[in-house]
Amino acid sequence: MNTALAKEELAQILDQAVQDVTERTAGVRLHQKNQSPGEDLCTVEITFDKGFHTSLTLCADTGLLSRMACNSFHEESVSAEDLEEFTKEYFNVLCGKIAGAMYKATQIPAHFSPPVFYHGRYEPEGREIQFMLTYSDEYCEGAQLIHHVPFSDGDEDSLRNQT
Amino acid sequence: MSKRVMVVDDSRLVRVQLEDVLAGTDYEIAAFCRSGEDAIAQYDQVKPDLVTMDIIMQGMDGLEAAECILKKHPDARIVVVSSLAYEDTYEKAKAIGAKGFVDKPFHQEQLLKVFEQALF
Repeated sequence: MNTALAKEELAQILDQAVQDVTERTAGVRLHQKNQSPGEDLCTVEITFDKGFHTSLTLCADTGLLSRMACNSFHEESVSAEDLEEFTKEYFNVLCGKIAGAMYKATQIPAHFSPPVFYHGRYEPEGREIQFMLTYSDEYCEGAQLIHHVPFSDGDEDSLRNQT
Repeated sequence: MSKRVMVVDDSRLVRVQLEDVLAGTDYEIAAFCRSGEDAIAQYDQVKPDLVTMDIIMQGMDGLEAAECILKKHPDARIVVVSSLAYEDTYEKAKAIGAKGFVDKPFHQEQLLKVFEQALF
């Protein structure tokens, strides 16, 4: 059984999922662009607790997430509560797609915790960034999808099954 | 007569999406439960024709909740609605007795087809 996924292959899986889910869920097209989000940010995080012991965070401009939430709820503005609801469900669907693609590539079932929402930028403790994908939309608002691995993971080039 | 659907999902967004998709069809949302525990507690009272069950939720996950409901109500018709759409999850859902699986984000056509298959 293949137990490793190359970083490049994982990055491609993540990118495809972001493009697909963002357009289908919220009607927004994101493009990879080397432009960091601004200062008014929200972060949502999941941890793969079965199969892969890594984390994914999405750190995005609040304006971008609000626009996506408005599209999904069919409303002109959204409350802070609805913004959080939307962001968690969007990330839940996104990570589900990623888990499915990872399963196809490795035959390892990946289960993950319910998404946790934070105002501002959040970085998981005890983990380091393996790589990040940076996106921008047509209004130049941005998002970063960041893959974190445990500090103890010595192999920087592959994502290994640690079960 | 409309078929009564109990929606089990921790996201209000999913309720909004299902309301959109089921508007003008023969299905109505009879109850919305935000956890597996809530679904188990409400099932007797709601007596739905169909349950949609998310998997990733706080507390008990959807597959555990579906298994509990089916142990007590073997005739319950449960459709798993989740983004965890891959063989391992399909097999687990099927093994506990779920009647179908709908992949998030869902489309009306896909959802209604699975509902129909689950009910007949």
